[in-house]
Amino acid sequence: MGIIKKLPVYSEKIPGGGIVTTSVEQILNFAQAKSLWYLLFGTACCAIELMCTGASRYDFDRLGMIFRASPRQADLIIAAGTITKKMAPRLRTLYDQMAEPRYVIAMGGCTIKGGPFYYDSYSVEKGIDHIIPVDVYIPGCPPRPESLLEGCITLQKQIQKRKLGDWQEK
Amino acid sequence: MTNEELKSYIETNYASLLTHNEAGKYDLLFIVDAANLVSVCEKLRDDSELLFDYFCNLGGIDTTEKFEAVYNIASTKKKIRLDIKVILPHENPAVDSVQTVWPAANWYEREMWELYGIHINNHDNLTRFLLHDEWDEGYPMRKDWDAPDFIRFPDL
Repeated sequence: MGIIKKLPVYSEKIPGGGIVTTSVEQILNFAQAKSLWYLLFGTACCAIELMCTGASRYDFDRLGMIFRASPRQADLIIAAGTITKKMAPRLRTLYDQMAEPRYVIAMGGCTIKGGPFYYDSYSVEKGIDHIIPVDVYIPGCPPRPESLLEGCITLQKQIQKRKLGDWQEK
Repeated sequence: MTNEELKSYIETNYASLLTHNEAGKYDLLFIVDAANLVSVCEKLRDDSELLFDYFCNLGGIDTTEKFEAVYNIASTKKKIRLDIKVILPHENPAVDSVQTVWPAANWYEREMWELYGIHINNHDNLTRFLLHDEWDEGYPMRKDWDAPDFIRFPDL
């Protein structure tokens, strides 16, 4: 991502360079927002809703979202389901293996704050934001496919507002 | 064989080893001494009238005064089920392994040791496998267990 980050620094020095920056920014943001490939990471009942969203009735593909089985090919990780303390290091490893820029959607109550396992639980991690940075939270237990689609559209809108110089490695 | 027949059969043939307990709601519940556990289990498995060949489940109970281990066994040939309970002291609880009788008991006993801290004598592989590897916070299913990030359900 080095070239992309430094592009505004060099292009804005030359006359008319701002047009180049804006155009590159728009093309990049459009391309990345409309091809969010997500990592298949379902650990509990939220994964059922994720599968339903991916199937023909709700049709994730029309947003350009295709599931990937490898974190190396994924832009987005949808954490669907309870993350136990035993699973937490594995989730961190998967996140670290993804290429920049990468995004995280926390789907369902368990990934937000432990959900129904908030009380009296010795094994559940109370919120995945202790482990990885989260871009969009989708509440629900589990959320309906409409909620998940709404969350993904929210993330796409966030991506399209990105400025070239502001990209931060998380 | 119905539950009544099974109860009368056990009470006539195993009167000295197994004591009936009313707490068993659906299956018959019998209490056995920890010292006799393995020999009684062997007899129940090899008895030609019972043939308890299937180990269904093993559960631990913490009553804060004592520990209890409940063995749910079944016979696939005679279509009967039975619960046997062992009562253990709250200080240093230990019970003999029944994996020589039913090899399926191996993992259940590891789980009970891991979550309740009931030591299993003569177990061939008593190692942790459910909790994560760095676990050093004790036995989480005990009533008196606590940890810094453990949030107890409030009294409503």
